[in-house]
Amino acid sequence: MNEQRRQVLQMLAEGKITAEEAERLIDALGRDRSPSPPEAGSRTKPRPKYLRVVVVSEEGAGDWAGEAFGGDGTSRINIRVPLQLLRAGVRLTSLVPPQALTRANAELHRSGVDIDLTQLKPQHIEELIEHLDELTVDIDSADAKVQIFCE
Amino acid sequence: MIPRLVTVGWRPGDGRWRRVHVPVLPALLVLSPLLLPAVLGGLVACVVFGVSPLGALRGAGRLVWALPGTRFEIEQGRTAVLVNVR
Repeated sequence: MNEQRRQVLQMLAEGKITAEEAERLIDALGRDRSPSPPEAGSRTKPRPKYLRVVVVSEEGAGDWAGEAFGGDGTSRINIRVPLQLLRAGVRLTSLVPPQALTRANAELHRSGVDIDLTQLKPQHIEELIEHLDELTVDIDSADAKVQIFCE
Repeated sequence: MIPRLVTVGWRPGDGRWRRVHVPVLPALLVLSPLLLPAVLGGLVACVVFGVSPLGALRGAGRLVWALPGTRFEIEQGRTAVLVNVR
């Protein structure tokens, strides 16, 4: 590409083209080169769309739950939630009236939980969801396996 | 995109799956005589409790629009429940 640019400048120096033509040619060369960055971006990992929670547990074997449900005690939970749904849910929190938040704060304080819900802004929770795609929880114990990830 | 099909499935102890496929748009049309008063009631409740009715409608719309792709599958031994929104 530098070679083409040099040729344009050479033609300008020799008087074969005018300065305006040289400028147009160099601009055209720049436009040809510009599509390359999106190509590099397309190779990056696509943004995840779903939050998955997978729990496989053998714990119920022989206990009341296993017998009540007539199974072998193996339980499986497979949940897929669109991240967009989480965002929409979070945005709903902005509708909660301030007096309700104050009352919730008072109840939380009475229960010994010192969290000020009025300080919890929807944009903060949205940021949290934005970064959920980097989250991976993998718990593997003898009787249960829990996986939380984004896909 | 608005949900088009909701599949609710359950498997009782006998091990056989039962599935109900609910096409959302026809179901909404059928339920519209009930839905309209419900929405109006919701709007009145919003005004009473000091919540912006427009914001509530927009929030509910966003929530419904984001539903496709949701899947819940819970299995306990031979019994299971499945909810799938497409």
